Amino acid sequence: MATGSPLLTMERIDKTFPGVHALDHVDFDLYPGEVHILLGENGAGKSTLMKILSGSLEADSGRILVEGTEVRNNSPDRAAKLGIGMVYQEFSLVPTLTVGENICLGDMPRTRSGMIRWSEVYRRAEEILATLGVEINVRARTRSLSVAEQQLTEIARILAQDPRILLLDEPTSALSDAEVDRLFDIIRRLQERGVGVIYISHRLDEVPRIGTRVTVMRDGRVVGTLPVEQADKDTLISMMVGRRLTEQYPKTITEPGPPILRVENLSAEPFLHDLSFEVRAGEILGIFGLMGAGQTHLAHVLFGLEPVTGGRIMLDGDPVNIPHPTEAIKQGMGLLTRDRQASLVPVQGLGPNITLPRVSQRALLGLLNLREESQTATRYVEDLSIRPAQIKRQVRFLSGGNQQKVCLARWLATGARILIVDEPTRGIDVGAKAEVFGLLDRLASTQNVGIVLISSEMPEILAMADRILVIREGRFTAEYAYGEATQEMLLKSAS
Amino acid sequence: MSEKNLTETQETRSELMSTLASSRFTRLLRNLLIQGGPVIALLLLALYLQSATPYFWTESNLVNVARRTSVLVIFAVGQTFVILTGGIDLSVGATGALAGSVAAVTMTQQVNVFGVKFGPVGFVEGLAIAMVVGVAAGLLNGLLVTRGRIPDFIATLGTLEAFRGVALLTTGGLPVPSYYSDAPKARSYLPSEVIALGSSDWLGIPIAAWIALVVVLVGAFILKYTAFGRSTFAVGGNREAARVSGINVSRTKIGVYMLSAITAALAGFVLMGRLNSANALMASEDNMNSIASVVIGGTNLFGGEGGVFGSIIGALMIGVIGNGLNLLNVTDFYQRIIQGLIIVLVVIFDQWRRRRFGT
Repeated sequence: MATGSPLLTMERIDKTFPGVHALDHVDFDLYPGEVHILLGENGAGKSTLMKILSGSLEADSGRILVEGTEVRNNSPDRAAKLGIGMVYQEFSLVPTLTVGENICLGDMPRTRSGMIRWSEVYRRAEEILATLGVEINVRARTRSLSVAEQQLTEIARILAQDPRILLLDEPTSALSDAEVDRLFDIIRRLQERGVGVIYISHRLDEVPRIGTRVTVMRDGRVVGTLPVEQADKDTLISMMVGRRLTEQYPKTITEPGPPILRVENLSAEPFLHDLSFEVRAGEILGIFGLMGAGQTHLAHVLFGLEPVTGGRIMLDGDPVNIPHPTEAIKQGMGLLTRDRQASLVPVQGLGPNITLPRVSQRALLGLLNLREESQTATRYVEDLSIRPAQIKRQVRFLSGGNQQKVCLARWLATGARILIVDEPTRGIDVGAKAEVFGLLDRLASTQNVGIVLISSEMPEILAMADRILVIREGRFTAEYAYGEATQEMLLKSAS
Repeated sequence: MSEKNLTETQETRSELMSTLASSRFTRLLRNLLIQGGPVIALLLLALYLQSATPYFWTESNLVNVARRTSVLVIFAVGQTFVILTGGIDLSVGATGALAGSVAAVTMTQQVNVFGVKFGPVGFVEGLAIAMVVGVAAGLLNGLLVTRGRIPDFIATLGTLEAFRGVALLTTGGLPVPSYYSDAPKARSYLPSEVIALGSSDWLGIPIAAWIALVVVLVGAFILKYTAFGRSTFAVGGNREAARVSGINVSRTKIGVYMLSAITAALAGFVLMGRLNSANALMASEDNMNSIASVVIGGTNLFGGEGGVFGSIIGALMIGVIGNGLNLLNVTDFYQRIIQGLIIVLVVIFDQWRRRRFGT
């Protein structure tokens, strides 16, 4: 562990939002050259703490000291001057600007007369990206990049500011294994230079790979801080959820019923080619693929969000035409989108968000039953233990795991018979993951819902799916029964 | 004080705070502060005017304010729907003028539409014709935005000009009815019911204000209790989420533009009654004022949040400012400056209040 005086000390930080005590007198410190991992379920207060440190939120009470000097009137600008750099979970890139412009944004190299030196902008951007070991065209518009490339650009942008304290909020959630390795190399190099890194993650297996110390938060409090040697996975999980998780992947094996969804020679050029499969009632069909293998297009095509160019879709043996999600919902289908934000209306409460698909099934001037709506919301808040349990609360204030439960509640409320879930655990914590899987299992085994589970997380798909189809470049390359496949086999079929 | 005591005091304090935060009274107070900003501003303004001029708080003046503001309120209700979807309708004034002009022409002379001669028609037919013009104008705006895939701002900026042009063609650039008209069967007066709409009272309150009230209530009902109203919020709150949830975004967009144009046509019709005539350039200020009313009323200009009741307050605010400045003998040039400043200040205050007390 690094020694000397702390680079950063946060003392008794307290923050209350209306109805929620987000941070309850939290203490946190960081030494030069260490990677301090911050763990906690969604809504535990990690992001709030980091936002206070980076100056975008103000604490109600408590002190922040950087190298022993108290920081007063913190603001994003001030935090940046103090050498605090934050890589946000939601990217803070300007999509219409080039990669180079984004990386140098706020500190554009200029000539003596104040004009921007464009050659220098791109040279500097290339240099920083080279240290990250990635090749991205610095003159490309940021919006044309893949999610992983955007994430790396975001990291490069913060590194360009040469921070002494670096905050990384789930930096690896969009990265491939090779990219993660490179990112860790860079973090180690920064460590050697005495930079302190605060690392927020949901991936417990990253803890021993990169961490020095681990702090676990729960419900706005610090549960404990451990050196990484003492932080084994089980200890961390029980600290995070406050109990031992009985089972991470609850799975009931049942005999599936008759096929409800049948897809024959389905094509959606140029993404999907000649796909045939069926989903049975009460079955979880896993679809595994690496990023961009076409699995999300498949979900969209089935749900009427993208056009079909060939083949047919049959429900209960009858061919159906699904030109629009309205029809998909009418036929008893549900879709959990890969990006939760694409499914939620952030400024509305739980009730309207849960009943939104039902609204689309009504006549234009059909009347809404507001009483039933709030009853529905109350029921699912209890059923799925959505927190905080306030049905009027705008969903943008919910944590990721709770937002995901709202999305699921939506399809429970419509009574969907076929549920397509696209990366249902992306960016949510262990506790919420177990709850989501528990729910999927319950739907399949007791209510005979046919579930299409699209995932790139191998442990979850191996544990939960009754059958796994592997997709590569828009074609199925393999099919495995439950318990038949291993991670190596999946990877081999997918790449 | 010992360390332990200090901690206890802090805990009691935070407990107290959370009890307070959940009590009914503070919730009411908070809601008033969060949602009632424009109401507070309006009350302050009225209090000031009452002390500054003896004429403000008199029945005849208040009736006058109501009459003047009613037309703006009707415009603002439709505009609220459009803004809630994240759009903007710059053509409402022009639509109102067009509908009024077409109705006025058909009510005062014989017209020849593709060889079919009819008119002058009566009040009911005139009103129906104005509504048809509204429906057509709204459909055009809606189709331009959805099928034409052009930004709302551009589409309605274009139709704003075009509608004025059509209105000018219809009226020949003259006020209608006009003594100079040589049209067949020309009359020099509008049906008496039209005049009554704009200038008569019922139970001491202008008929125009009753109409505005009905429009507001219908608008509020649609927003809160119908699938269309909910779709309006959803499309403005997150277009993608609305689509994924099966809501027909294009149909909703076309719907709000039609609603906006229908209320605009009605407003133009009422305005014609108040002016005792129609002309192609009327309601030119109501265009921007309707947008200002909606925004002052607390509806988010990016969509998803707000409602029609706020827009009434916004419209009243604009009406009262104008009236007050008249009573205070402020000349028109200064009036414009002051009006502009007040609108901006109200919204600045509103934004600050939301950040401070916002959820």
